Amino acid sequence: MKVPVSWLREYVAFDWPLDRLAAKLVVTSCEVDRISRRGVVDDDGNGERFLVGKVLEAGKHPNADRLQLCQVDVGEGDARQIVCGAWNFGAGATVAVALPGAVLPGADAPLGEAKLRGETSRGMILSERELELGDDHSGIMVLEDGIEPGTPLADVLPLGDDVLEIETGFNRPDLTSVYGIAREVAALTGAELAPPPGTDPERAGEEPVDVRVDDLAGCPRYVGRLLRGATIAESPRWLKARLLAAGMRPISNVVDVTNYVMLALGSPLHAFDLERLEGSRIVVRRATRGERLTTLDGQDRELTPDDLVIADATTPVAIAGIMGGEASEVRPETTDLLLEAANFDPLTVLRTSRRLRLRTESSTRWEKGVDPYAAEQAAIYATQLFAELAGARWTGHSDVNDGLPERPMVRLDAGLAERVAGMTFTTEEQVARLESLGFEARSGDVRVPTWRARDVTRPVDLVEEVVRFRIEELPATLPHRLVSAVQLTRDQRLRRQVEDVLAGAGFHEAYTWSLVPPGEGRIELEEPQSSELAALRTSLDHWLVESARRNRNAGVEPVALFELARVFLPSGGDLPDERWHVAGIADGGYFVAKGAVETLHRALHAELELDRVDLRELEDGWGYFELDLADLFARAPDVVVYEDVITYPALKQDLAFVVDEPVRAGALIAAARAAAGPELRDLSPFDVYRGDQVGPGKKSIAFAASFQSPDRTLADEDAARLRNRIVEALSRDFGAVLRA
Amino acid sequence: MDRVAAVDVDALERDALAAIGGAGSADELDEARVRYLGRKSELKLALREVRERERGMALNALREKLEQAVAAREAELRRPREDPTFDPTLPGTPIPRGSLHPLTQARRRIEDIFVGMGYEIFDGREVDSVYYNFEALNTPEAHPSRDPQDTFYVNARAVLRTHTSPSQIRAMERHGPPVYVASLGRVYRRDTLDATHTPIFHQVEALAVDRDITLADLKGTMQEFATAVFGGQREVRMRTSYFPFTEPSVEFDLSCYLCDGAGCSVCKQSGWIEMGGAGQVDPNVLEEVGYDPAAWQGFAWGLGIDRIAFNLHGMPDLRLFWENDIRFLGQF
Repeated sequence: MKVPVSWLREYVAFDWPLDRLAAKLVVTSCEVDRISRRGVVDDDGNGERFLVGKVLEAGKHPNADRLQLCQVDVGEGDARQIVCGAWNFGAGATVAVALPGAVLPGADAPLGEAKLRGETSRGMILSERELELGDDHSGIMVLEDGIEPGTPLADVLPLGDDVLEIETGFNRPDLTSVYGIAREVAALTGAELAPPPGTDPERAGEEPVDVRVDDLAGCPRYVGRLLRGATIAESPRWLKARLLAAGMRPISNVVDVTNYVMLALGSPLHAFDLERLEGSRIVVRRATRGERLTTLDGQDRELTPDDLVIADATTPVAIAGIMGGEASEVRPETTDLLLEAANFDPLTVLRTSRRLRLRTESSTRWEKGVDPYAAEQAAIYATQLFAELAGARWTGHSDVNDGLPERPMVRLDAGLAERVAGMTFTTEEQVARLESLGFEARSGDVRVPTWRARDVTRPVDLVEEVVRFRIEELPATLPHRLVSAVQLTRDQRLRRQVEDVLAGAGFHEAYTWSLVPPGEGRIELEEPQSSELAALRTSLDHWLVESARRNRNAGVEPVALFELARVFLPSGGDLPDERWHVAGIADGGYFVAKGAVETLHRALHAELELDRVDLRELEDGWGYFELDLADLFARAPDVVVYEDVITYPALKQDLAFVVDEPVRAGALIAAARAAAGPELRDLSPFDVYRGDQVGPGKKSIAFAASFQSPDRTLADEDAARLRNRIVEALSRDFGAVLRA
Repeated sequence: MDRVAAVDVDALERDALAAIGGAGSADELDEARVRYLGRKSELKLALREVRERERGMALNALREKLEQAVAAREAELRRPREDPTFDPTLPGTPIPRGSLHPLTQARRRIEDIFVGMGYEIFDGREVDSVYYNFEALNTPEAHPSRDPQDTFYVNARAVLRTHTSPSQIRAMERHGPPVYVASLGRVYRRDTLDATHTPIFHQVEALAVDRDITLADLKGTMQEFATAVFGGQREVRMRTSYFPFTEPSVEFDLSCYLCDGAGCSVCKQSGWIEMGGAGQVDPNVLEEVGYDPAAWQGFAWGLGIDRIAFNLHGMPDLRLFWENDIRFLGQF
């Protein structure tokens, strides 16, 4: 929220420089996004160049029909000639004047003496908007008569202000008002806090106020007040200036007062036009199905029984805590008001505001939980201002509630602060701190103020209140830990290994979205951000292929990407089965992808089983692989067991078999292994031949065979015996013929 | 004539250096060595007989000089012969080299720092229940983070995790106290993709629960961590904040690693870089997992990995992490 500093000072006269205060707030209380300056900046005597002037003469500019030529007394003895474009004043008017050299709000350069159509203008007559005092720019601002010309303008108007732009945490609804921030500032600086603003004017009647609350859970308190004889008009300048500085637009005195009091005290208000309330009655209830309301923003909204509404005798007139209805809105001709100072349940407001996608200054306050005790003071302050600014008479009051919540009592555990923070806080310090924040400390127990009752309920909550004031002083220590041996888990280590192997093999690691377009077997999000990111992926190919394409289109060569990430498979329950996958894509087709997979298996000492790997060639010649890491890791040994592959040399032979075209090399290898046993150490195809020498429908596959035993040197006869077994088996199973 | 006196040191040096330097092969060099430094060489014979101190020093100096010349020439001769067709400045045979994504590199670095401090690395879930993501973390029903405007719901009871904090709960459920874990991974928040926002990003969550872990320990741990990642002596600043699952809660900033606090464009002239959120684990959270809050206490903190890598490498745009342009990836 935006806090005009002049307003803040009305409640707490702190003497810290503003930047020091902001720096302290940031550390102890809330974010301060920035300190901005509004209106006339009073640096280098700039404020003295804004004066009250009296127009002595005003007439048409000799050379321009749309300009006035004025002689203005600004207390200098001689009048100044000023050219002005507005016509809503004449001789005798009291006006605001900026002298040459003045820097106007938002201007980069000072005002100069100008010659306009041949006439010198030695200053400028100002409008409200030029001073950021209102949004009226239809004419210049005419001040009340009788102010001495030459009076500093700052003496009669709120010319400039600093504004603290504050962001409040969810747990501090008490900081969503100027008075609430003043309370915090008083505690921080030690400056005295003024009592909360607002005193009831004399009551001018004892009219009953017809308020019925059907849903006390949704609306635990409803203060309704009747005010009669109001005159709807523009608000005074000080009020408009404050609202503008706080980021709200002035509308009319009555509406402005409700907004002003909300900003001052944090409890949102609403004013209804009493005449437009059917039966002059207020009923707080849930909406019935299909009920509709046109809200102040002109939108026609359909309501549901989840929505809490303020209704009159027949129909809803406001959505509770969010926005009023157009039909009961205060208008220029309104004279009688029903003021609502209520308290609404945060969740009810939140749900409706979410469903309607309608957030307002009011709903954001209710969502955080407004102190129900604040409603009455807000009603009092608004009543006072209605009387002062709109001439309204207060004629009726009612306060419907089911008993206000007790203030929580929390035990003050004086040693807890040190145990939690690691820094010493004396009991006296803790008590003093808490009392400065409005807590009442008595004999070990602390009574929490109403405005903190939602957030402070336990001893540790008191600790935060104490610690935050000295948080900069915390020492930096380390846990006294007897470190046990810690390392990555096996899966974590193996995942790193997979990444390293692929990166070492020339693949670049990619990160792609876990969300993909909807598709077969994919779990869909309830409200996706876009149709492209609407479902959880079950494989890594969607964006990986897209990334590869983008690289190729950009002329990057060669393209080789991999990703290691989770996929999400439907499990039948609420949560999907999350599995780690690794996938890769590369130029060069199927065998490049297969090479990567083989390297990966070799690195992990796992046997490659083709049916456990998604291995394919995509269009455009991409080779693609994807595999489930849990499955891969299950096939990898934890520890490699030593085998003697050095002492007894291997015998190497080449064997070529002619087989029918459909027979696959893998089948031959499996059969050969089964036939020869472990002494066949390796059998790798190195050539496939098709042609005249083997005849049509046939092919010859050449293998490099390696025979080796761990415990003796194999003789040529051993190799011959093993070879014969292979030849027999392949001949029997596949009709394979050994080539010479 | 005296053999010693007969030696003309200057002439001998001149002749010997010429012979050594002129040797065109190992054999020729050996020949020169025998002639000038061999047992029967003029120099060695004279050295054996010399008595006069000055003369001896001069002869020894010559011997050393010649020995060095022989060694130097030997090394020269061993060097490959100048082959006019051999161009050593041509590139080597290409051996494929891929790369690890900068986020993986950052993740590993962070993991290693935590393992070094005695933390286990815990893998949580990416799709988790509303219970783990919010309820067990003491998040009020009205808290804005539960809003579907911010959070992706898979169904009424499951969300794409919005932070790595549910790992706290899962880790504590799995271990009894004390527990020291860090959890890293993807998190999801509805956000329009632009230079500084991505709907998917990465966090690291650290949790330490033991008998007497304090907020001061949290500060010290952050300082260690930040110094390990960014180098130098980093200052940590804590600001009071609010998170449902910590009490007290803080946000923490790091003195800018680029300007050391003086103010620059990276820290937006503040001297501080916002790092993440943290605090003492809320007693409600401990109770939720069956830890006795009177006996156990600790801290939890979380921060964005993407932001760390982004800052560390001086990147202009977060989307680069997800576009997978090999020209970008290959830089790391």
